Amino acid sequence: MKRYLFWIVIFLTSTNLFSQTTISGLVKDDKGEPLPGANIYIEGTYDGVSSDTDGKFSFKTTEKGKFVLKIEYVGFDSFSKEVNLNNGNIELEIILKETFNLLNAVTITAGTFEASDKKKSVVLSPVDMVTTAGTRGDIYGALQTLPGITTNGESGKLFVKGGNSDESKTFIDGTLVYVPYNSTAPNTSTRGRFNPFMFDGTIFSSGGYSAEYGQALSSVLILNTTTLPVEDQLHISLMSIGCEIAGTKVWKNGGITGSFAYNNLEPYMSVVPQNYDWNKPPESIDGVINIQQKTGKTGKFKLYSSINKSKFSLKRLDFNKMNEMINYDLTNDNFFVNASWSDLLSKKWSLKTGASFTNNIDDNFFDNNHYTESLKGSHIKSVFLHEMNKKVFIKFGAEFFNKYYKNDYTTLTDTFLNNYSNTILAGFVETDIYSSLKFVTRIGGRVEYSDYLNEINFAPRISTAYKLNRNSQLSFSYGWFYQYPSDYYLLYTNEIKYERADHYIFSFQSRKNKRTLRTEVYYKDYKNLIKLNGGEFYLPNTYSNNGKGYAYGLDIFWRDKKTFTNGEYWISYSYLNTKRNYLDYPVEAVPKFASKHNLSVVYKYWFGSLRTYMGSTFKYSSPRYFNDPNSYEFNKSRTTAYYSIDLSITYLHRENIIFFVAVSNVLGFKQEFGYQYEKNSNDYGIYESSAIIPSSKRFFILACFITLSGKGDINQLDKIK
Amino acid sequence: MKRTILTIAILSATLFSMAGGKQFQQKMGQTLAQYASCQTIEDYLALGNKFKIISNVEKEEWLPLYYHAHCYIIMSFMENNDKAKKDEYLDVAEESINKMIELMPQESEVFALQAFYYTARLVVDPMTRGQEYGALSGQSVGKALAFDAENPRARYIKISNEKGTAQFFGNDVKKYCEQAKELFKNWDNYKIKSPIHPKWGKDYVKQISKSCN
Repeated sequence: MKRYLFWIVIFLTSTNLFSQTTISGLVKDDKGEPLPGANIYIEGTYDGVSSDTDGKFSFKTTEKGKFVLKIEYVGFDSFSKEVNLNNGNIELEIILKETFNLLNAVTITAGTFEASDKKKSVVLSPVDMVTTAGTRGDIYGALQTLPGITTNGESGKLFVKGGNSDESKTFIDGTLVYVPYNSTAPNTSTRGRFNPFMFDGTIFSSGGYSAEYGQALSSVLILNTTTLPVEDQLHISLMSIGCEIAGTKVWKNGGITGSFAYNNLEPYMSVVPQNYDWNKPPESIDGVINIQQKTGKTGKFKLYSSINKSKFSLKRLDFNKMNEMINYDLTNDNFFVNASWSDLLSKKWSLKTGASFTNNIDDNFFDNNHYTESLKGSHIKSVFLHEMNKKVFIKFGAEFFNKYYKNDYTTLTDTFLNNYSNTILAGFVETDIYSSLKFVTRIGGRVEYSDYLNEINFAPRISTAYKLNRNSQLSFSYGWFYQYPSDYYLLYTNEIKYERADHYIFSFQSRKNKRTLRTEVYYKDYKNLIKLNGGEFYLPNTYSNNGKGYAYGLDIFWRDKKTFTNGEYWISYSYLNTKRNYLDYPVEAVPKFASKHNLSVVYKYWFGSLRTYMGSTFKYSSPRYFNDPNSYEFNKSRTTAYYSIDLSITYLHRENIIFFVAVSNVLGFKQEFGYQYEKNSNDYGIYESSAIIPSSKRFFILACFITLSGKGDINQLDKIK
Repeated sequence: MKRTILTIAILSATLFSMAGGKQFQQKMGQTLAQYASCQTIEDYLALGNKFKIISNVEKEEWLPLYYHAHCYIIMSFMENNDKAKKDEYLDVAEESINKMIELMPQESEVFALQAFYYTARLVVDPMTRGQEYGALSGQSVGKALAFDAENPRARYIKISNEKGTAQFFGNDVKKYCEQAKELFKNWDNYKIKSPIHPKWGKDYVKQISKSCN
């Protein structure tokens, strides 16, 4: 009996010893490289093993029958195979395919600079946008250090790849900002209306941009508001030019930030000598509200609204009699509101929709004349995104724009009242097709109809990108870009057409070991530009679309975060060759805003032990052309070259207190942007002139930023850095 | 005869049907023991794979996901050459942590590990990520301590985060050193819920105390 039992027990315990299947093999990728550390196992059981450094594996299992063998490796599609486990040996050679993941795929970078944390092709981070010395916390100032931009110090606006500043448009959360700049005196540098700290995920496109955007001959700046902080906060900013207080209150899935700012340059200007003669230095008040709320599991609603009033008065040369000074007073009222909502409609469909409204009034008094410009603009937009499959995406949408522009000019003797209104309906379609992780094609088209011009335009856009290897890629962009003419001409006639620019952009980008190189060559063909036929500006048949021009150039960007510990630098160089025959040009000539060579060198360094961050920027711009009516040639006179060295220092006094000092044009280079000429020649037949110079040689700013929050240890450090 | 059949039946039952719960405990115990022999990133990768296999089988258990994420967080700390790889390891950890939170939305250890993960993200690029991930790590520690004020891992991460911030600003770190010493002394007094529940951290606290002197 006991023997019987004994053998039964032996039999039961030894069943395991005899019934094992051995599974072994090799795991590699589709290039034949072994994959070490792949996870190989029998689905539903604990039996499995990892591949070794040669990609080889071997393990035994006591399971019997039909099972599924699974092989997994991060970044690759997992592999499944049905196996029959019946005590034998199974040998396999498995090839895994790299997973198609948008984060690893090639991206279209021609003409595009993206400042975000998300994608790998990004060369700038959001903090770079605000922390570059000399930008005075102005987004447009920060963009001036990128290639493809010509510095026009008397303007401060964006002049992109041979284009004028009105050829660039700004969008926030997808909707158009009709008036992104502050109002200033003529030839005084302006800045953006927005606090740059509000944005991350900024995309600056210097050409060849998506069919989703239009009405800009040169470039678009796409800003996305950042998510609100995670807890209640109070920010206080005390600056030599004014102060700001902002409070954030968060609740579950949402929050609100309200801020109020008051700026007055009078105390500052009483201490620092100015070139301009201010009766009343610029003064402004601002209120901003920003609300965000998650809706449902995936939806997000954002509302941004700002209201601003500013004014100043200065003494300026009378352009009609340059030995006399006149008073020039300007008051500006601006109201802007923008709401947007985005959500997933289903697994493969998402919707983004938004609307914006701008009301801007500039009220101008100079020498007994009263000039008022008022603009009311609205924009409504909806965009649908559909993921057809992992590699094909399609985007389409519709937009409505309406603009009402009024211009009243009253002199001692006359009154001129003019206005016009234009509605644009637009639609666009665009598809991204990834042939593989290495090659993507984007094809799109945009249609616009203007009721004031009674004209339809159609613009094709195509871009491609090819990834050469893990570090580099090539990208190409081609498209037609339309823009309706300036308000100043539309005021008097609607018998003109859209202006147009065709872009050809080719770009190469390489990143390795914390160093980035970007080079871009481009050609822009301008057509249908407004040309004045010598008649009076208020007569409709003065205008035609016979103007044209071209621009071509080379942009180089080099960024190095590796060579210096605790330091980094970038260099931007642009070569630009452009000519136009438009407006009142008698011949084809280089426009006033273009310069052949532009160079920016930005250097930042962190002194850890002193808790101090230093930034410096060097800028050079080759001489620009301007027109001297005393000369027989048009636009052949040249300014001096432009040089500037800007410095900024940030000191972290405590966790929540930061001190900031910045100086522009530290070395006091003489800067001159051209000459202003009198309208009529004097008794000797000479047109008198006066140099256009900056409002002051240097600009200083001192600031102290204080943050109070629930925990007391969050600060504005990231904003300064 | 009856007794024989009964014995055989019991033996068979024990041999052939190692009940799921007990097999899981055993398997986890065996795999956890292998932490001691892990030296290189490859070792942790292989160990993480084992936890992944267990989590695929035991879909309702959070502990395999916990250790899977933990291995990848360790790997991201160990990786010193390739910054992109650090983030790739943390992407894997993030996926497991999110699954874990869905299974156990009220477990202190889950949020303590999430805080540890956020600190690992911060370390990849402190200059850019300092503010965002510092705040997130602090939030997760807060949740962990709300569910269990005595959780030594949550307490360790809180001390470590706060000491790091104080050091950066040149403030006095004495009080954090005191807290670390205190935590080290009382570490073993914390009652762990089971032999396979997390118990790491004592060495890290020791390091903090050491770095104070």
